[in-house]
Amino acid sequence: MIAGSVQRLFNWKIRGIRWIEIIGVVCVAAMVFSVYVAKAAASRESATISQLERQIAENGQRVRLLRAEVARLEQPARLEALSRNAGLAPVNAEREADVVELSTLKPLHLPAPVAPVVPAADAAPAAAAPAAATAPPANAEAVR
Amino acid sequence: MTTQDPRAYRPAPGAGRPLTSAVSPWLRWLGEAVWFVEHAFERARADARPEEDTRVRIFLIRAVFVAIFGALALGAAHAALLAPAGGRGAAHVAGALQRADLTDRNGALLATNITHYGLYIDPAEVWDRDAAFRQIRSALPRISATRLRRVLDGDRRLIAQPGLTPAERQAIHALALGGVSFEPEDRRVYPLNTSAAHLIGSADTGGQGVSGVELAFNDPIRAAGANGEPFALSIDLRVQGVLENELAATASEVGAKGAVGIIADARTGEILGMASYPSYDANRRGQASDDAALNRVTSAHYEMGSVFKSFTIAIALDKGLADLDTPIDASKPYMIGNRRIQDFHATNKILSLEEVYLHSSNIGTSRLAVEMGADSMRSYFSKLGLLDAAPIELRESARPRRPRDWSDSTRASMSFGYGIMITPLQMTAATVALVNGGVYRPLSLRRGGAGAEGHRVISPETSTAMRQLMRANVLRGSGGQANAAGLRVGGKTGSANKLVNGRYDASHGIGSFAAVFPADGPADAQRYVIFVLIDEPSQGSRLGGAIAAPVVGRVADRIAGFLNIQRRDDPPAPVVVP
Repeated sequence: MIAGSVQRLFNWKIRGIRWIEIIGVVCVAAMVFSVYVAKAAASRESATISQLERQIAENGQRVRLLRAEVARLEQPARLEALSRNAGLAPVNAEREADVVELSTLKPLHLPAPVAPVVPAADAAPAAAAPAAATAPPANAEAVR
Repeated sequence: MTTQDPRAYRPAPGAGRPLTSAVSPWLRWLGEAVWFVEHAFERARADARPEEDTRVRIFLIRAVFVAIFGALALGAAHAALLAPAGGRGAAHVAGALQRADLTDRNGALLATNITHYGLYIDPAEVWDRDAAFRQIRSALPRISATRLRRVLDGDRRLIAQPGLTPAERQAIHALALGGVSFEPEDRRVYPLNTSAAHLIGSADTGGQGVSGVELAFNDPIRAAGANGEPFALSIDLRVQGVLENELAATASEVGAKGAVGIIADARTGEILGMASYPSYDANRRGQASDDAALNRVTSAHYEMGSVFKSFTIAIALDKGLADLDTPIDASKPYMIGNRRIQDFHATNKILSLEEVYLHSSNIGTSRLAVEMGADSMRSYFSKLGLLDAAPIELRESARPRRPRDWSDSTRASMSFGYGIMITPLQMTAATVALVNGGVYRPLSLRRGGAGAEGHRVISPETSTAMRQLMRANVLRGSGGQANAAGLRVGGKTGSANKLVNGRYDASHGIGSFAAVFPADGPADAQRYVIFVLIDEPSQGSRLGGAIAAPVVGRVADRIAGFLNIQRRDDPPAPVVVP
């Protein structure tokens, strides 16, 4: 009985064509179209990719060329010749200083006559300081 | 009626053809099988079931088609889903060289590959050959006229000129000529031209190293190139540049035939700079003269002269023959048989060992050499690497000219650097062993050193004493001009005459200086050895103290900053409190 109904369904025709064949043809057409779309998109992508790869390779070559040019221009022999032409020379060892030596170098350049100019201002804090220093014990005694 | 007609009667093979069966039972079986299939339909009709046979045939054909299409579908799915992606981008340059960029220890470029272009011309597509000839000649003057003419008059596409630079290619391309095309090819390029040319060497157009580092590290460079990484050497381009410039300045000033300079790290044996004067353009290797192309550091032999006294004194100290205060009689010339050995700066008095070194007394060192005996001198010289080619990666490293015998007279000669010819590289390696605490290590051009353990030559105490002696020689002896401010340079001068036509000629001399800086501090402190040799100076003094020592002083002064060496007064002097 089930076999019979399946057979009937299979034999159901629309305008003389089995419906299952119509569906099959539609499916095949849809698949063919989708494959076409996918392939077209993929070939567009791969064209872009290969173009980018070519650009990368060209830029890579250009980078190599420029690096070689930089190395040629920056080579010590050339730089030294240019520097000597410009009147430059290696720094004399006596003029080199370390960071920690800065404090020993600096006092030479300090303006010496600062102290005599403001003796009063200097004296006032000096006078105030001992006063402040003696004050706390006085206060402490007062508290006691 | 043809033989292909199915109605033709054909007897079963084998029945009337004994030849087939004689050939092979397999062939006979095959023939019968074909015959069986051929007559299947007739047999089925005879059995009165023709439709069954038809069904079997249809099934078989269907099965074959299903199998074929199934295989195709599987193949398509495999290609679409599982094929390696990006397979086409791999080989973008046909003639790509598998060689890594060479860099110095800090990554500065020494050698690289640049894509050049081969110029190809197809004469069939050239419109006006004479015009094309003129235009190409004017755009590319270095092209050979005869070759260009031959290619233009030929009948097929040929290469007219290999190795066009990108700029030259652009110039030709801009002519817009028909029939002209370019094909990329990789070329090895040395952007520094003359700088470090001997050291780097060269590689051929096939990507194989021919000389220098390119040959010595051929396999590692190719392996690094396959990984796309640069290959770093031990040299420091800044140090190399200073060394080359100072060497070339002095060598051209004194009109020297050649000059040599090496700077090595005494702790690791790494070479930071190696210069040979005169130099050549590494990109035009073929045009260099043999004299310019010779790497004097590795391949030239010299009788070094007084710099050998460091070795004699060190051996005497290490064997316990003498200490620094031992008196040695240099009051009169020393006689070995009929040979009379005398001093260049005769002092005519009894000297301490230290004074022998500082006055560079031939008499003193000869006495020590005779006293130490042949076996121990040979053993120490062997351990110092003076009797064999210096162990370094470079294949150019040459074997020394060794003495024929070890008699008293020969030993006396060798004690002040005659009778044995060694390469500057051997001299440097031996000096490194004297000052680094007494361990001989192979010098190396690999960043980080060769990694060899090395072998002990002299005791650490002897090494300390040698550094003190070398420092004293700069402060109070012949090496005064090497004294760079605050760098505690120590060293020994050497001045030798060359053997010309069988006799030592004072007009053909070499001046050398083997130095260490800083000379103070513990045995394993940061320390560098500089060796400078000026070959046949034609003007001014020929003494090592006058021509080689100043070079060492200036080089040390300029490279101290690169090597992070603090300037300081000598240890006995009060140290400046920061």
